[in-house]
Amino acid sequence: MTKYNIPVDLIMSKMAEASEQAHAKARKGSEVLLEDLDTEIAPTPYEVVYQEDRVKLKYYRPEGQPKYQTPLLVVYALINRETMLDLQPGRSVVQTFLDHGLEVYMIDWGYPTRKDAFLGFDDHINGYMDNVVDFIRERHNVPQIHLMGICMGGTFSVIYSAQHPEKIKNLVTTVTPTNFDTDKGLLHQWMQFVDPDALVDVYGNLPAHAMNLGFLLLNPARLMLDKYVGFIQNMDNKKFVENFIRMEKWIFDSPDLPGAVFSKFIRDCYQQNLLIQSKMKVGGQPVNLKKVTMPLLNIYGLFDHLVPPEACEKLTQAVGSEDTEDLCLRTGHIGIYVSSKCQRDFAPKIAAWLAERDVQRKRPKSPAKKRAPKRAARKPAAAKQSSPA
Amino acid sequence: MNEKQSQDTSGKDAFMQWTESMSEMWGGVMRLWFPDGGRAADEKTGENADAEQGATKRVRDSVAAALQNWQTFSGALSEPGSLDAFFKGVGAMPEVLAQLAQSSLNGFMETQQKILDRASRMGDYVDADTFAHLDENFFETWTGIYEKEIQRYLKIPKLGLVREYQERVSDSVDAYNRFQVTLNEFLRILAVPVSRSFVVLQEQVAELADKGELPEDGRAYYDMWIKVLEGHYMTLFQTPEYTDILGKTLNSLTEFKSTRNAVIEDMINGLPIPTRSEIDSLYQEIHRLKRRLRALEKNPK
Repeated sequence: MTKYNIPVDLIMSKMAEASEQAHAKARKGSEVLLEDLDTEIAPTPYEVVYQEDRVKLKYYRPEGQPKYQTPLLVVYALINRETMLDLQPGRSVVQTFLDHGLEVYMIDWGYPTRKDAFLGFDDHINGYMDNVVDFIRERHNVPQIHLMGICMGGTFSVIYSAQHPEKIKNLVTTVTPTNFDTDKGLLHQWMQFVDPDALVDVYGNLPAHAMNLGFLLLNPARLMLDKYVGFIQNMDNKKFVENFIRMEKWIFDSPDLPGAVFSKFIRDCYQQNLLIQSKMKVGGQPVNLKKVTMPLLNIYGLFDHLVPPEACEKLTQAVGSEDTEDLCLRTGHIGIYVSSKCQRDFAPKIAAWLAERDVQRKRPKSPAKKRAPKRAARKPAAAKQSSPA
Repeated sequence: MNEKQSQDTSGKDAFMQWTESMSEMWGGVMRLWFPDGGRAADEKTGENADAEQGATKRVRDSVAAALQNWQTFSGALSEPGSLDAFFKGVGAMPEVLAQLAQSSLNGFMETQQKILDRASRMGDYVDADTFAHLDENFFETWTGIYEKEIQRYLKIPKLGLVREYQERVSDSVDAYNRFQVTLNEFLRILAVPVSRSFVVLQEQVAELADKGELPEDGRAYYDMWIKVLEGHYMTLFQTPEYTDILGKTLNSLTEFKSTRNAVIEDMINGLPIPTRSEIDSLYQEIHRLKRRLRALEKNPK
């Protein structure tokens, strides 16, 4: 006689039922996997209008006449790829911007190789970014552009706006870490113990696979196990499988991180928290956040485990701008861009916020001779592409 | 004169006779081969003479010198006093050899004893009553043993022309051993939440069974377990122990890779291909030039 009241017969019959269902699912799932699947990411057509070394500038033009006077430059992080903003039809931040009549430029940082290991913050911000901003300003004949940064790209954008405020009309930061003195995010805790220089000395660039492993270890139960259990449970659903594969493609399409950038990011930001205190220097020049005087919209996720709200929310108080807004969405680090709910709350909000602050004076056309001669590696690209190579 | 002395004397006599006859024989051979004292070849002239001179003169001189040496040596030995001294030396040989062997054996035994002593001391690093945390303590204990008893052999100073290369190989082996220890400790700590989550799951299931609320769906058990597992990982990741071992693992990995790269560079240096350091130095130079170019482009004079 057992001590417990266990409905053994019910459990057994449920198990038998589940086994039959699993069998049927596996049969259907194998059929789905053998079908032609649409797993293309970044489907929105674009044109590469500028290229310098490995860095490309993508231009997305809205259908019909643009409704904004000022184009928007989106600066993605050097970790993972900008394709996340255009993951698939119906889940595309880029497409939403285009639907609102906004001209969008997006930096594709490319895949750094060993020769890029010495390129630091200054090379990326005051080199590539500044050249791109100047290119867009000249192309549209405007003195200022809108700038939007994603994650580390947001950190770059804040630094750029502090060092070149005259070129930025409005600044939008999304899941952007600027305050690193918090123990809320595991990355913030772990990075205190890392010796970045030793890693860079050995690897040159920080290998993408090492970073991905680190991200998976932030929540191994969900990211390394439960996620794939979910996939198996839904593998008979073609739509689910296609979306799942798209996300897998994006997650593991990771460039290496240039060693000099990694080293400075860890030392100056994660370990010394210099940026939010306006004590950081880039290219030998101080990054004074009080010089960020343009309107600032700062968006972050409440459940972001990589860049928690505590890492983002101090920015609006630290800058010199009087027109600032914080927006905390009930989502995570990636969900903010790709979840169905955020498709309504995120990109449309940015488009509306920019529209309210878009009016700007046209600057007189500057004679071409004032421009520095283009160097060989920095060239407008001729070929029009519909998708990344 | 006893029998032994008589044998020694007769042995010496025979040896003396042999050395004398050998000396005479080699003298005869010398006279036969070089009747003119080696001057004939020197007197030849012409183109071929130069070549012949070059080829044969060195051989002839060497043979003549060897025969001369033998004659001198055997002549000296044939003197009665020299022969006594020679036989005395030969008699002492087994004694010297035995002494050499004894000292080598002692050295070997001493080394063995030291190794045994070190091995026996390994037990000192383990407390008798700490079996409850044997798995946690294992890596600490092993590190202690390794650093105090094994690593020292790798740190023995290297000598001679190739000492730097040997040192780099030893450093790499040492770094690899230390990396393996920290990696295994890191993997062990990562496995802890899995085993503990099963224990918690069993407790939860027992509790539900007590209440008669056991779920009928198998998925519910999985959901319970994954939630517990996630919670355990979240707790673990915020502990100082985890961050400590994570830092140690990364540091030992970079140290191992760094020392290994140094050994590989040593090997590549002997091949007609550039090393990573050389390429990096080139990249650095290009980077500096590009920065200068950018500055000039932005601020043309």
